[in-house]
Order: sequence, then structure tokens, then C-alpha cells
Amino acid sequence: MIPLAAGVILLAGFLLMASAPELLTSYGVKEMFRAWEPASREHLLGTNALGYDIFTELVYGTRETLFVGTVSSVLTLLLGTAIGTLAAYPGVLGRFFNGVMNVFVLLPRLVTLIVLASFLGTSDWNLIMLIGTFSWVGTARNVRAKVIHINEQPFIECCVIQGYSRGHIILHHILPNLYDVLISRFLLGVNSCIMMESTLSFLGLGDLYHPTWGTMINFAYKRGAFIRQAYNYLLVPGVCIMLLSLSFYFISIFFEMRTEAIQES
Amino acid sequence: MTPAQYETYRAALHLDESTGMQFLYYLRSLLDGTLGYSFKKDAVVSSLIWERLGYTLQITLPAVALSTLAGLAWGLRCGYRSGVPVDMASTVALIILNAVPTFLIGLLLMIFFCFQHRWFPYTGLSSPEATAGSAWLADRMRHLVLPVLTLTLASLPSRYLLMRNTAKKIAEEKYVLYARQRGLPDRTIRFSCLLKNIAPQFVTMTGMSVGSCIGGSLVVENLFSIKGMGKLLTEAVNTLDYPLMQGILFVTALIMALSIVVTDVICVLIDPKVRWGEYIEK
Repeated sequence: MIPLAAGVILLAGFLLMASAPELLTSYGVKEMFRAWEPASREHLLGTNALGYDIFTELVYGTRETLFVGTVSSVLTLLLGTAIGTLAAYPGVLGRFFNGVMNVFVLLPRLVTLIVLASFLGTSDWNLIMLIGTFSWVGTARNVRAKVIHINEQPFIECCVIQGYSRGHIILHHILPNLYDVLISRFLLGVNSCIMMESTLSFLGLGDLYHPTWGTMINFAYKRGAFIRQAYNYLLVPGVCIMLLSLSFYFISIFFEMRTEAIQES
Repeated sequence: MTPAQYETYRAALHLDESTGMQFLYYLRSLLDGTLGYSFKKDAVVSSLIWERLGYTLQITLPAVALSTLAGLAWGLRCGYRSGVPVDMASTVALIILNAVPTFLIGLLLMIFFCFQHRWFPYTGLSSPEATAGSAWLADRMRHLVLPVLTLTLASLPSRYLLMRNTAKKIAEEKYVLYARQRGLPDRTIRFSCLLKNIAPQFVTMTGMSVGSCIGGSLVVENLFSIKGMGKLLTEAVNTLDYPLMQGILFVTALIMALSIVVTDVICVLIDPKVRWGEYIEK
């Protein structure tokens, strides 16, 4: 229960930041002050090279970070479930999708994403699409293993004998039984998608119109936060990424423990 | 750019031909080993990559070795005696480290070791004054410490967690209990019972970690301004040098594929079950 509580409290904090940023900060995103002011009561984390309040930027960046992470994770989940289920089919179709999975395992994800992001341009939807289409392999593998396991169960045999179509069996009998795999993969997927997005943004491939935490660190690094010793500008967004992904991890630990408890009983 | 130049580059990059033909040109460039021609840098892509690959490997290979070996040793120890305070503490610590992005680890190390204490240099791989011999080597080592440490810390948690969980499962087996009943020392049990049984997973993990470390080294090279392949990729991205980008993608995918093939072969060689299974089938 402790991991769940910790995860939910952390996540609730970030959701508050994402849904109601006005509550937490009284400044606007583009409100200018003197540049490079140190942390003070007026500016909790100081101001940046352009004179924007860093705390305000941080709070407003939460929504973008969470948005990119969750949407691309949902995409990953959909693709992974579809391909994993198809790959569990016997015959040519299954073998084909298995092959597709094996090709995607071999691709170095970060390098592929950097190259494709610079080919396609870096709007936030492009990033979401790219991260989604290159992160589903893990999900697909887990789903495939689980579907093969379920396929051997007597109740599926019953369905086959009773003459239900394959589509019906998959939609009504196999998919509902995948929920524990899907929940844990979704939560861990949000994690890895946020990591991926922040790494890309840190390397300067993020969407500049919708700055996330990774973009903030990129700006800080490029605009000389080191020389100004504005370490909080560099580190605090990173710490936020860490806390956010820990919160998802803790919640996923709870579900894992629950599944284990069900299996043991 | 004059219209004549524009036409020259258009023809040189085969942009007027069909996609299929362009792909054939790409395949030809793979076959003759040039990987295309970078007009921005005015050089053959493969030679550009070859120049930089060495620097990337100097960071990647030590990091792979250190993170997998440390993950193996510590994971075996904690998995064998799971539930004791040492195991709990190190598992929680590494779960937290797992959530830290690579660049944050790098930034923290940089701030602490370079800016607060000035123990290590923060940019490049060698200083201009050290030119040859042992001075050069020592200087290179000093430059390598932080990048390698960053990459090792970034990839250690996943290796440790995998090894610990595998070892924990095996430690519950009957033969481990029997070995303990016989009064064998913990060291012997760890290295002869556990290690042999998690060896296939360990080898596969090492192979996969080559790929993830090359990905991580892109970040590290940008952070520490090291002129390796990752820096080359960033330069290519910033100058929209498409042949170079494709070449780098191809080389990294090739390295990953090779490392996975090698690990598969090693897995077959070290696992008697697989080896004998093939004999029986024949």
C-alpha cells in the first residue's frame, strides 16, 4: 500500500500542476523580469536568460510533458496489443508479425527517433507519433506471451467448439483477460515515453512552441546556466521528470503485487 | 545558391528519380561500403563515421563492461539474500536511480566534479598540452572518467534489477536449498549454482546493453562535447545532412544486430540444454 499511496500523492501533485497552473503561480508564462535573478521569495527558482520566471515555466511545462507521455503511451499500448495479438496467431500471419517485432527489437530506438524526428520536423504530434510507433515492442512481446497462454485455456477451447468466430473470441474473451499486462505496460510505458521525449527535447529536437521539461533543460544548458551557476534551472526540471516517472513506477509496483497475490491465492 | 548548383545537387542526390530507384542507389552505397556522400562535409559518409566511431566505443565499451559486471555481482548477492536490509536499500536506491534521466546524471556529476571541485575536465577527450606517451594516456583517462561514469550509472539500475530478480527466483529452487543443507559456503553457491543458471540471461542482457549504451552515449557526447558519433549525428541533424544521418542509423543498427547475433551464438555455446537439444533432433 505504501508504494501506491506515494505514487498517487506524487501523481496528484503533478496533475494539479498540469490542470490548474494558474493556482500555483501568479505570473504568466511570457511575463518578463530581470534576467538571471537568483532564487528568492518572488521567484522561487529565479529567472532565466530571457527574464521569465523559471517556476512558472516549470509549472506550465507539466501539462505538455504529461500530455506527450500519456498520449504516446496510449498509442504504444494500442499498437502493442494489436501486433502482439496478431503475432500469437498460428500460421503465416503470426510469423509475419513476429518478424516485424524482431526487426523493431533490433532498431536502436534513440538513434532512429533522432533521425526520423529531424526528417519529419518536431511538432509535438510528430514526436508523439514517432515515440509511439517505436516503443511498442516490449508491450507486444508481453501481450503475445499472455495471449498464447490464454489460448491454451479450456474456456477458449469451449468457445471454439461452440463455433464463435475468431474476432469474437479475441474481443470478448482474450482482451478482457489481458488487463493486468496492459495496466502495467501502460504505466511503465508512460515512464519510458516521458524519458524518451525529454531526451529528444534535451538534444534540441523538442517542440519549441510547446516547451516540456526536457526543452527547459536544453535551453538552460545552451544559454549558459552553468556559467551563471543557475544550477536549479538545470536540475529542477530533471528532478521533476524523475519524480513523475517514480510516481508511475510506484503505482505499477502496486498492480504487480496485486497480480502476484491473486496468482498465489 | 545558384540555379546551376541547385541542379547539380539535385542530380547528385538522385532527387528526380523514382523512390524505388533512389532506394537502389542507397543499396548500392551500402554494398560498396561508402554509405553515401555527405555534401555538407564534402566527404564519404563511412570515413566520417569511421573517424568518430573509436571515440564512441571508448565511452561505450567500458560502460557496458562496468555496468553489466557490477549489475551481475551486486544483483547476484542481493538476489541470493533477498529481503535483508542491504538488498532492500540497494534495490530502492537503484529503482530511484532508474527514474533519473541520463542527462540529469551527467549534469549532476559535471556540476559536482567540474564546477564545484574542478577535479575532472568537463569537455572533450584530450587537452592540447598532453601530446604523446604516458602523459597523453593519463590525460585521456582523466577525460574519460566522467562520461563513462555517467553512462555506467545510467545503465546500471536496469542490469541490477534484472539480475537480482532472476537470481531471486533461482535462489528459491530446491537445488539451492540442498546446496545450503550440505553446508556449502555462500560464495560457492552463488558462483556455481546461481551464476551458471542465470548465465544465458546475463549474456543476452550484455548484448542488448550495447545498443542502449550507444543510445546513451549520444546524450553523453553532447553533454561533454566529445567528438564521437553522437556529436556527428547532432551536427548532421543541425545541418540537415540526410546521407550522414542515414549512415549513422545504419551503422548503429548494424552494431546492435551484430551484438545480438554474437550473444545468441554464445548462448547456444554455453547452454548444454540447447546444445544437446540440437543433437537429439538430428
